Amino acid sequence: MTFTPPADPRAIAPSEPMVDSLDIAANPPRRALRLHRELDDVWRDEPGWKGFFTSVNHGTIGLRFMVTAFVFFAIGGVLAMLIRAQLATRQGAFLDLDLYNQIFTMHGTIMMFLFAIPMLEGLALWLLPKILGARDMAFPRLSALGYWCYFFGGSVIVLSLVFGVAPDDGWFMYTPLSDRTHSPGVNADVWLLGVTFVEISAMAAAVEITVTILRCRAGGMPLTKMPLMGWYLLGTAVMMLVGFPPLILGSILLEVQRAFDWPFFEVARGGDPLLWAHLFWLFGHPEVYIIFLPAAGALSTIIPILSRTTILGYGAIVAAVAGLVFLSFGLWVHHMFTVGIPHMALAFFSAASALVAVPTAIQIFAWIGTMWMGQVQFRLPMLYIMGFFATFVMGGLTGVMLAMVPFNWQAHDTHFVVAHLHYVLIGGFVFPMLAAVSYWMPLICGRWRVRGLGEAAFWLILIGFHGTFFLMHLTGLLGMPRRIAVYPDNPEWEWLNLISSIFGMITAAGFALFAFDVAMQWLFGRRSWRNPWRAPTLDWAMPLPAPSYNFASLPGPRHGDANALLPLARGEGLLPGAPRGWRETLVVEPGSGRPDHVAVLAHSTSLPLLTSAAIGSFFAAMLSGFYWLAPVGILLTIWAAWKWGDIMGTDRDHPPARVAPDLDLPLHFQRRNTLARTGTLALLLADGTLYASLMFGVGFLTVVAPNWPAPVSGIATLQNVIAALVALAAMALGLVASFRAETARTTPIGGTWALVGLGSGGLALAALAVLAYGLDDPTRHARDALRGVVLGFAVFHGVVASLLALRSLADHRQGRVSATRVGASPIWQLFQMFWLGTSAVSLVLIVAQEVLS
Amino acid sequence: MSWLWRALVGPVLWGVLFSVVYGLHGAGCNLGWTRVPVLFTDWHHMAMWLAWGVGLALHVVVLRVVPRGIPPGRSRWLIVAGAWIGLVSSLFTLFPVIATSTCL
Amino acid sequence: MLAGSTLITLLVGVMLILAVRNKGGRASERHWIWGWGLGFTLSVLTVLVGFSLWLGERMLARADDALEVSAHAAQWEWQFTQPGPGGVPVVTRNTLFVPAGASFDVVITSADVIHSFWVPQLGGKMDAVPGHANRHRLRADAPGIYEGLCAEFCGFGHNFMRFTVVAYDPALPMPDMSEAMAAFADNQAGILP
Ligand code: HEM
Ligand SMILES: [Cu+2]
Ligand SMILES: [Cu+2]
Repeated sequence: MTFTPPADPRAIAPSEPMVDSLDIAANPPRRALRLHRELDDVWRDEPGWKGFFTSVNHGTIGLRFMVTAFVFFAIGGVLAMLIRAQLATRQGAFLDLDLYNQIFTMHGTIMMFLFAIPMLEGLALWLLPKILGARDMAFPRLSALGYWCYFFGGSVIVLSLVFGVAPDDGWFMYTPLSDRTHSPGVNADVWLLGVTFVEISAMAAAVEITVTILRCRAGGMPLTKMPLMGWYLLGTAVMMLVGFPPLILGSILLEVQRAFDWPFFEVARGGDPLLWAHLFWLFGHPEVYIIFLPAAGALSTIIPILSRTTILGYGAIVAAVAGLVFLSFGLWVHHMFTVGIPHMALAFFSAASALVAVPTAIQIFAWIGTMWMGQVQFRLPMLYIMGFFATFVMGGLTGVMLAMVPFNWQAHDTHFVVAHLHYVLIGGFVFPMLAAVSYWMPLICGRWRVRGLGEAAFWLILIGFHGTFFLMHLTGLLGMPRRIAVYPDNPEWEWLNLISSIFGMITAAGFALFAFDVAMQWLFGRRSWRNPWRAPTLDWAMPLPAPSYNFASLPGPRHGDANALLPLARGEGLLPGAPRGWRETLVVEPGSGRPDHVAVLAHSTSLPLLTSAAIGSFFAAMLSGFYWLAPVGILLTIWAAWKWGDIMGTDRDHPPARVAPDLDLPLHFQRRNTLARTGTLALLLADGTLYASLMFGVGFLTVVAPNWPAPVSGIATLQNVIAALVALAAMALGLVASFRAETARTTPIGGTWALVGLGSGGLALAALAVLAYGLDDPTRHARDALRGVVLGFAVFHGVVASLLALRSLADHRQGRVSATRVGASPIWQLFQMFWLGTSAVSLVLIVAQEVLS
Repeated sequence: MSWLWRALVGPVLWGVLFSVVYGLHGAGCNLGWTRVPVLFTDWHHMAMWLAWGVGLALHVVVLRVVPRGIPPGRSRWLIVAGAWIGLVSSLFTLFPVIATSTCL
Repeated sequence: MLAGSTLITLLVGVMLILAVRNKGGRASERHWIWGWGLGFTLSVLTVLVGFSLWLGERMLARADDALEVSAHAAQWEWQFTQPGPGGVPVVTRNTLFVPAGASFDVVITSADVIHSFWVPQLGGKMDAVPGHANRHRLRADAPGIYEGLCAEFCGFGHNFMRFTVVAYDPALPMPDMSEAMAAFADNQAGILP
């Protein structure tokens, strides 16, 4: 790594500065190389294999996410080729029906859950701190935990294919096809448990991304001026927080039905298969926007830079993103237009699906206008962007067509839909991701690409793609349904399929060439000079390849864009070096970006790996049917979770950190509103959505499902009433204790309050156990099963809240609290509140059910 | 950051209104509200129209109230944009309550 | 709709080419974002949604005196109940008999998993969901034989879950239903696979 070349004078000037001019002086310049050594010692991964298992650095984890996602993409691609080979002729090539079902299910599942989502998570983890001007993500250990959950879960899913027990009910797993009766094997369990395990990584990433964007930006960077990528990923992360819980809930319910015969989706006992469809698509539609938004963020970043100008309509794009985030939760029923829902309800969703095209169109025209304004340079990323336009626009238009009810009734579940979904997914996600990879490769590996290969790969992919999928619209309109392996009686579909298959192989060749090109660049490319695209954003304000700590000193009011590369490397920015030998980054106020405090982040540790192994042991027990072993997995997980807290506090007060000559800020131990607190709020948003989905399930079954009202229940006993009231009272006492434990923390009374909180948590849990004992048999009717789940929800949160009470107690005992250090109680308060609140609502609901029936 | 919450009021109101009307629609069809006459129409239509009407009125209030006291600039622009997004969404996505048949 | 989509695709394509060839210049938000992005898109969509709702309304099954037949799906076959000779309801397997030239409602149910009733040449599809009875209005304008299939993936035999709709001329004598009836009866007796 060298530090000599001057910042390129031709970097595009941003039309407005990305940071406000706060009055913070610059730090004195230092020797860049010495600063680099100081920081790298602290930030780099441990050497060798150890580093592989213990890294928590966002650079490493983000890249690892992306590489793993590409490996899964390749596997999914091979499956796609098998599908195309099979469909090339009427009689099919070689797959039997059963295997074909596994293969298309796995293709869809891998592409959505093991490629697209992890790919965008990887990009976000890797890019965000760089483009926002921070040293790492807000919760480095969480990044690593997410990666390991993804890795283990994904491996199990893929391995199931090798053992011939892969999921085979389609990627949306409709019940009753996926219940025990109709899918007796372990296949469906692999899907439900595997995908849920992988989704832990999505939730982890979503929390992290939200907090990082809100609080880990360059000092003085207000939300209203942050790079658009920040807005896009904020939208994505919030959508993940709200979008994934319905799927997680659905998967839990279905797995419980399969394992313990609780009839949520079984008609005969008051369930309804449509509940699964609603929960799945309540996730499934937002999912496609979750995938699209980061890709659009990459486009909004790259297009202006390669057009040598700035983006047209920053404000309008932010508003469009907000519109997309909201509207995309009002579209899910367009996947269910044929299940027999009345026309007016279909009309709501049809109109909403059309309306969502408006914010999309606003972005498309903003991008075209930006190109009009500037001078487009046809570098490789720009080619992929052209590929995006040539593909996505059509996918969007067929999407609007499919949103029209009469047309949907005709085209639904045919190859027209297959064509549409690939135009959107490959056009709207894969092309932009290829653009993003080729754009950021120099920052990843410090090298410039080898000429020619990339262009060839692009043309192969573009031609191959349209050759494969364009005619598929026609195949669908001619009546070919999706998910069939042979079509002996329909010779008229054959030539279309044959053409699709041939071009499919060309597409595959293109992707292979792309991978080869990237490998060549990594290995043999010539060294790239700094900021090769002459971009203004902060991700290029660092040497290439990006150092482990990103910035030797952090960007701030005086150093707000890529032109500040050298001063930042010399330590003139904020919080230079690693004077305490810790990993530190700046935390700002969410809105204005004013520096607030300094967060001390975790060093390399194998705890995330162990934790995900503990969680994995639970999933493994469930999958193998050794249900009695599952509690061991839970205990292991609790043990690991406890360990996480061990390194979160400190037992002494620290002097403030010098951020700039005239600015000293406290370390996060001495702050109440920490990253952890913001993260808890984000997590509780997701948790609240999970609860709301559960309530939706209760309401839906009560109103819509056949075979209601449920049989007379026997829960209105005195014992149950007392237990419920005791539980609520104990939770309320715990809430008081959680606040008192904080306010009285400097006296021994604080510790006593924490003990009271722990005791009342235990009492509440005991009362809940009494309730569990007094419940109606949950296998009798869906109502009783749902009550079981509602109770389980309360128990789960009781365990979490009690663990936090215990942590608070430990804080008091170990001297981790003081006048300035609050310890774990603020987090405990939040969970305790949530526990009390949801339990009270549940109780009211069940009482209402009893009284009204 | 309070401007961000203000900008979200309109879209959130859309979300609530959309859920309420969709819920009323589903409940009405399954609980037989179409058979209960009210004035010149039935209770099912009435409930949805009322909800929609009240919702739209609230949207107009939001449009007028939330930007108050925020100095001109991008934050204010986004607040106004959010209020409009909510209003237009509620108008556009729920107008079927006056256009299509209910439970067929 | 297809033509409209093609036109819009071409339009965006031309704009893109012009934008790429334009060597720098002024661009206004009013023109690109408010004009094209919001104004143009929203107007096209309003018209489109209005039209599609109107069309959808006309396709609904209303309470009138249309003929009612039923389709009961099971892995992986169809049982149809329809008026036979003399108007007596008869049950058939994998063949549905309806008069041509008049609308009829199919009441669609399922015995096990979700299936979907679809006769591409007659109109849209409707799912067979366990626990629900869905009503679907169709009409065969001319007498003839129409191929139908199960459109919702329903497991191992999904590929072959096909059926036939025979639309007969109501003025002529009824077609011979005995074979399809026998197929049903044999199946009930466990003779057919
Ligand atoms: C070379 C690239 C690809 C080819 C040739 C291809 C081909 C296909 C085909 C032929 C089907 C229909 C299978 C059937 O209904 O019988 C299918 C389904 C699907 N594909 Fe792809 N695909 C490709 C890439 C992708 C990508 C990149 C994604 C997502 C990011 C994706 C997601 C899906 C999904 C979700 C399904 C539905 C699976 C189901 O029905 O359960 N595909 N693909
Ligand atoms: Cu959708
Ligand atoms: Cu079927």
